[in-house]
Amino acid sequence: MNTRLSGPERRQSILKEAQRLFADKGFHGVSIDEIARAVNVSPAILYRHFKSKQDLYDAVLQELSSQRESYVEAVVNSDANFEEVLIGMTEVFIRSIDENPNLLRIEMQSLLDGNPATSEFFENRWKSFADYINYSMNERLAYDIADREIKILSASLMFQGMVREALLQKYLQPQDRLIDVSLSELSRELVTLFLRAIGIHETQLTQKDSIDSEQTKTIPSAS
Amino acid sequence: MSDFDSELDASGLNCPLPILRAKKAIAGLEDGQTLRIIATDPGSVKDFEAFCKQTGNTLLSSGEEGGKFVFMIKKS
Repeated sequence: MNTRLSGPERRQSILKEAQRLFADKGFHGVSIDEIARAVNVSPAILYRHFKSKQDLYDAVLQELSSQRESYVEAVVNSDANFEEVLIGMTEVFIRSIDENPNLLRIEMQSLLDGNPATSEFFENRWKSFADYINYSMNERLAYDIADREIKILSASLMFQGMVREALLQKYLQPQDRLIDVSLSELSRELVTLFLRAIGIHETQLTQKDSIDSEQTKTIPSAS
Repeated sequence: MSDFDSELDASGLNCPLPILRAKKAIAGLEDGQTLRIIATDPGSVKDFEAFCKQTGNTLLSSGEEGGKFVFMIKKS
């Protein structure tokens, strides 16, 4: 038995095994005994760290749903136009699932369970896409266009739906249906289709971005 | 007289928008001028550190004020 682990290390090793088991079998498919066996400790030790199975499940969800991706490189390493940044973001996001498909499995489970962590998955993960698409389209669409709000909302949903479906096909199917497609090809193709669908073309993007006037408040330097 | 040249409020927006808007705002500044940024995304603290490291601009300060994150960046 591992007796050398410190408290926080032990807690981390329990979380790691619990994440794997809950991701595979769901909340109801796993017992505390099974998790304890996987960590090689007695259930009593496990209960010292988590007061119930629900408590442990919530901790697993909390850990995953608070994981944020950084899109700094997508902005810094491009000329910051809509298309390039969105491709970069999509690549980073898909890679995070590629590195840990449990992120996607657990998110889907929390959605079905009606667990409050679902909204954290949105706030910390999907909202980057929602904000970015909303903001960018808001800047570009004419103000007098009919059903403006719903057009922007639908575009944002469309993109999140495309990415989510690609991830489901790639990581939740028993066999990866997209095995021959690289992550960057996939990201680029999804973004290209999306831009075509919402009627934003590359030429427009370049023109618009080059004349972009940033809406910051400039403070006069004179006193 | 204010102690910064330009200000950007990115409250309520998740990464990458605060970074993207900061990048554009800095492009409009002269060397040595400063930009003050307000954000609410908890990821922005790490993001602005990485942004300044990668772009060579100076992060003069990074802190919390009234539940929001405030950054001061000098174009360099």
